[in-house]
Amino acid sequence: MKLDPRTKLFLALAANGMIFTAPLVYSLLMVVVASILLLLEGKWKFVCTFFFVYLTAGFFFDQVKNLDIGTSGTIILASLFLMYRIMPACAVLYYVITTTKVNEFLACMSRMHISNKVTIPLIVMIRFFPTVYDESRAIGNAMRMRGIRLFSLRTLKNPVAFLEYRLVPLLVSVTKIGDELSIAAVTRGLSTDTKRTCVAKIGFRWVDFVVIAYCLIVVCAFFNVIPGL
Amino acid sequence: MRTTGKKSSNTLVRDLVNVGIFGALYLVLSGIGASIGFIPAFIVVSTCAVSLVTSVPLFLFFSKVERPLLCCVLICTLFGVVMMFSGHGISYGLLCVIYGVLAGLSLKLFHKNFVGCLLANVMISFVPSSMMIPLWSSTEEYLAYCSSVCDSAYIAHLAELSSSYWPLIGLFGFGAAGAVVGGFVARRVMKKHFERIGLAQ
Repeated sequence: MKLDPRTKLFLALAANGMIFTAPLVYSLLMVVVASILLLLEGKWKFVCTFFFVYLTAGFFFDQVKNLDIGTSGTIILASLFLMYRIMPACAVLYYVITTTKVNEFLACMSRMHISNKVTIPLIVMIRFFPTVYDESRAIGNAMRMRGIRLFSLRTLKNPVAFLEYRLVPLLVSVTKIGDELSIAAVTRGLSTDTKRTCVAKIGFRWVDFVVIAYCLIVVCAFFNVIPGL
Repeated sequence: MRTTGKKSSNTLVRDLVNVGIFGALYLVLSGIGASIGFIPAFIVVSTCAVSLVTSVPLFLFFSKVERPLLCCVLICTLFGVVMMFSGHGISYGLLCVIYGVLAGLSLKLFHKNFVGCLLANVMISFVPSSMMIPLWSSTEEYLAYCSSVCDSAYIAHLAELSSSYWPLIGLFGFGAAGAVVGGFVARRVMKKHFERIGLAQ
């Protein structure tokens, strides 16, 4: 089921608003719609894993919350909180990022009259998180082969050197990727002056209206706009 | 060769791509640096850790962009937008824009020399420092929000911090100090690595 990128943005905005400000039941309502959309995209494995981790984290969060176990408790609780409260937001963003093509997103931003000066960094940023993770993991593996680890005597003796060993290769790699990306973008005619055309068809359909109406009802219920809800 | 003085739109695209890349990197590294704030004793100095970790990428970013004002405003605005998506208010987003403008102006006024980069780094270090302003501006709401996340000892420590304005000054002071120290480290790293391989001037 294909949704318009603008609907996905609205869903992400409404879901994040509910997840971070409203009581848990509202964030669950937003998670349900994201899960249904992910299932319709055939990502059932992700949905099953998500619900398993989410419910497990929720269970342990409730157990640990009332215990007074000091600093370690705060770290455990914060980690569980990240899983419990931020995972729903991640699930919604996962749906938005994995199902939206770059050209569709650019076309949608262009329809909303948002300048390319905002759109280009945003799209690069969203697409770059997995790259940063992959590069960092590869550098971490290479450093471990050379005996450079976070929890080692060598790191404790000279933490700045550890930071240098991990950060400098990452920055070199990231900068080179960035240069290649900008050359590719310019070669393909990406510019801020010209109006770009798009082959992909975007537009609102009945599914978009259903999702938007659902989000609006949840938001209105939270703000008590509709009496009785 | 005579030039009109107008910068090419190709370099603008390059700058915008760099904003996206370094914005992503800044978000990840500041998250890692700020994670030491989970230990109650390190809440105030966590901004120093963030500034230290993010100084080298920011210096590299400053050396790579040709439009410092636009790029600094965009990187701070993007950070603010992401933080607004994760529960921070609109006022925080506006503060980010102001810090971005100040950082860009410092770079522009000092022509991207070391002092300009250092000043810009200090301005950007105020972006993560400002995240805890609600602890003093709306203490009760902030503590109520945190009580669902942290244990009672941590909340008690936060309440103790909110009783005086010195920790707030400390947050900004440690952030700025970290940015200055990180700036000197970054200059050394830039000379040792990036300038040698031609990634920065």
